Amino acid sequence: MNKTKYVGQRLPRTDSLAKATGAARYTGDIWVNRRDILYAKALFPPYGHARIKSIDTSEAEAIEGVAAVMVADDLPGMNGYGGMVPDKPVIAKDEVLYEGDPVALVAAETKEIAEKAVKLIKVEYEPLPGYDDPVKMLDPSSPMLHTDNPFHKNHNISDEQIIKKGDVEKAFREADVVIDNWYKTPLVDHAYMEPDAAIAEYDPIQGGITIWSPQHAVQLAKRAMSDAFGLPQSRIHVISQLVGGGFGGKEDSTFDVSVVAGVLSIKTHRPVYFELTRDEVFKGTGKRHPSIIHHQLAARKDGKILGIKVETIIDKGAYKSIDAIPSRTTQYAGGPYSIDNALTHSWSVFTDHPYGCAFRGLGSPQAHFAMECQMDELARKLDMDPVELRLKNILRDGDTTIWGQPMMEERGLGLEECIRRVTSDPKFNEPLDNSDPRIRRGRGIACFMYGTGTGSATDGAHVMVQAQPDGSINIGVSASELGQGFLIAMKQIAADTMGVTIDKIYLDYADSAASLESGATVASRTTVLTGNAIINGLEKLKERFSAVAAPMLKTGKENVCFYQNMVFAKGLENEGIKLTAVIAKAFASQVPLGAIGSWYPPMATPKGDGLGDKMHTYAFGCEGVQVAVDMETGEITVEDALLACDIGKAINPDTLEGQFEGGMAQAIGWALMEEHFMSDGKMKNHTFHDFLIPTAKDIPDLRTIIVEHPNALGPFGAKGAGEPPIVPGAPAIRNAVYDAIGIGLNEIPMTPVRVMEALRKKSAENADKSRR
Amino acid sequence: MITVSFNLNGKDVSCTVDAKEVLVDTLRERFRLTGTKKGCGTGDCGACTVLLDGEAVRSCILLTAMVEGRKVTTIEGVGTMDHPHIVQQAFVDASAVQCGFCTPGMVLTAIALLNRNPNPTEDEIRTALSGNLCRCTGYQKIIKAVQLAAERMREGR
Repeated sequence: MNKTKYVGQRLPRTDSLAKATGAARYTGDIWVNRRDILYAKALFPPYGHARIKSIDTSEAEAIEGVAAVMVADDLPGMNGYGGMVPDKPVIAKDEVLYEGDPVALVAAETKEIAEKAVKLIKVEYEPLPGYDDPVKMLDPSSPMLHTDNPFHKNHNISDEQIIKKGDVEKAFREADVVIDNWYKTPLVDHAYMEPDAAIAEYDPIQGGITIWSPQHAVQLAKRAMSDAFGLPQSRIHVISQLVGGGFGGKEDSTFDVSVVAGVLSIKTHRPVYFELTRDEVFKGTGKRHPSIIHHQLAARKDGKILGIKVETIIDKGAYKSIDAIPSRTTQYAGGPYSIDNALTHSWSVFTDHPYGCAFRGLGSPQAHFAMECQMDELARKLDMDPVELRLKNILRDGDTTIWGQPMMEERGLGLEECIRRVTSDPKFNEPLDNSDPRIRRGRGIACFMYGTGTGSATDGAHVMVQAQPDGSINIGVSASELGQGFLIAMKQIAADTMGVTIDKIYLDYADSAASLESGATVASRTTVLTGNAIINGLEKLKERFSAVAAPMLKTGKENVCFYQNMVFAKGLENEGIKLTAVIAKAFASQVPLGAIGSWYPPMATPKGDGLGDKMHTYAFGCEGVQVAVDMETGEITVEDALLACDIGKAINPDTLEGQFEGGMAQAIGWALMEEHFMSDGKMKNHTFHDFLIPTAKDIPDLRTIIVEHPNALGPFGAKGAGEPPIVPGAPAIRNAVYDAIGIGLNEIPMTPVRVMEALRKKSAENADKSRR
Repeated sequence: MITVSFNLNGKDVSCTVDAKEVLVDTLRERFRLTGTKKGCGTGDCGACTVLLDGEAVRSCILLTAMVEGRKVTTIEGVGTMDHPHIVQQAFVDASAVQCGFCTPGMVLTAIALLNRNPNPTEDEIRTALSGNLCRCTGYQKIIKAVQLAAERMREGR
């Protein structure tokens, strides 16, 4: 490996200035600047669940400027698409299963015409009962949501996962204490700022289609939509524009818009633009799965956890989407602790709600919310310090997780350091001001672990690297720039690996035609998997160039070094030759200047009972928060938040802190304010003034500590960092509220209504007790 | 349809629009100034913020007809990639940009704040920005960017 010059530095992102000056173009901005594009609208149903009795499109079709009106029977291919299985109809045929199922599509010369036409489509519906409750839907006697979907035959269960380790019944028999509680988390929107949009353009030359849209996964998109377009996967070309926020949501929702633009473009042979209004984004796109968790924890009186039994019912919504939530909730149900006996069981269950999809943390926030609340409950029961209790149980070198994976310090195990650095922080230890009886203050912590990558057998990354004769380097990667700063991080990794100045690195990114499959930009996987694949590809080039340079430098090829665009023999830095001279010689002697770089994590064989290695490395962390609770209004203010997170190695500390802070803020929203209300499959709040996310006034100064316990398999020691920061926030806040008011709230968001309810219940109980 | 004349980024312009047309659509679709983003259409998110006679307003709930004779400044009117405004440069230097969709609105709101209050407290910055939603950053580095810009403006840099 060369000397590092860029990795670890706070280099400015490549996209900041373009974004800050308005020069950066998102999908909707391309439409504005192209005047040949048709504008599309979809007709969405006014019901969450209904039978379609008839559709009359004649009036819409008669309007001048309408290029196409489509109903289900007009589709070019199969009426289904999806990231995992094609179970979601492009256009609903007989029945709508949630408010986001389009009933008909329109493409017109202008936005105004499309809006007018879609209103003239007449649909006769027969409203059906809305299925809102996943617990009822799990009951085998409940009606089926999917009555005729080839992908859903297992009653209303989309997926079911179980982990069984050790002898749980014995652990519970031998326990000194059992903590048994129910927890509940809400349905929430990603609330990315850029509404979903897509442009599709039919290719009359080869009969293919090009899609421009904010994607998480340009290669997966080809597979997800190919059946619906009735086209081979090879003919679908997908380009992800800059993504105006995704957080996992656009992995699916971008298919929703791309498939609509696509079928209209295939029908009309014209380019088509389709965008959702914010109202449609709220009602129709994926959400964080709500969960109901029954968590039982058995422990000895010295605080050692003996076993857990956890059941998690997940509201799947109407379609499968990315259904890794049962897997993740069973995996993380025991938090980052060494527990010998576990039985964790999760179901994702269909309802008439927006489909649950990937959202930062993918089930881990839900699972950790329950577990980290349980840890504070246990500490109270045993009258132990919650920090000590955690330190007693955390996973250390050689311990195994509840899914039976041994933990190794060489893959980075920095949890103890995270806990110690948060809990020894001077500000976190200042005396609390509880002088005003109306304002009660308290502090709490929560810990977590989070794996890098999807943990599935297909999780790998492949990239194309190509040296140019002028010494610059192209790298073709399928990952997307979601705002996380992957462009600068990849440039830092590539420049240090190749030994060139960073200006020589150019990324051909997020274009399915200029890249190979490097996996979706999800699962906190890009820095590690794509970074390693880039290193692998560049090392291949260096090996070839070393062989070319060795005779030029009169040394052996094993002694050839690359640094700052120069090539030299080891120790003879001042007698180097330019990299361009080496490339010129390679070019002239038919040495290929391009290579494919690949990397995938060690593959594990599942051992049954949900046991076996999952991800190759895990981020760990601890968050400490201070809250103030207004005893008269029930309002909770987060006054201080400090996150320490072990991510192996900070490739770029600036962008990394950005991930920490963004995750912490989203956790505050999830814990305190965000919640969609559903009734009969209809969403009751679908604007930013009744679905509230944190503003600058709701967030305190967010303090972060980067902890680096290197991952021996990561690029420069890195682990995944994008999702982990959201995980500990909600339970830390809940535990701080417990500390402040002496009530453990087990349902989030902890809105003023829920806090006041709990306070009144407690004061009634106290009054009752004093009467007795 | 009505004809509206106003000053847009320093130039006098006029256009003929439907009485119901909102300014964000006029700016984006007629003048192709796509730096102004449309995030919600209900005046909640602030992505469409522009300056109207120097004050930050939401162009998605402002009728184009209302800007007759007034001065409208969009993100394109305050700086360019070659000559960024101090606030734009501060957003870059403070790493305050992630997905970037809220950034033009944030920058314009910050400029309006600093023009009326060159030395704002952190709380004043948070209050001023509280009508501009950002889902990526937790606002942390945005607050730092505005503080950095304020410092540089006071020093005349």
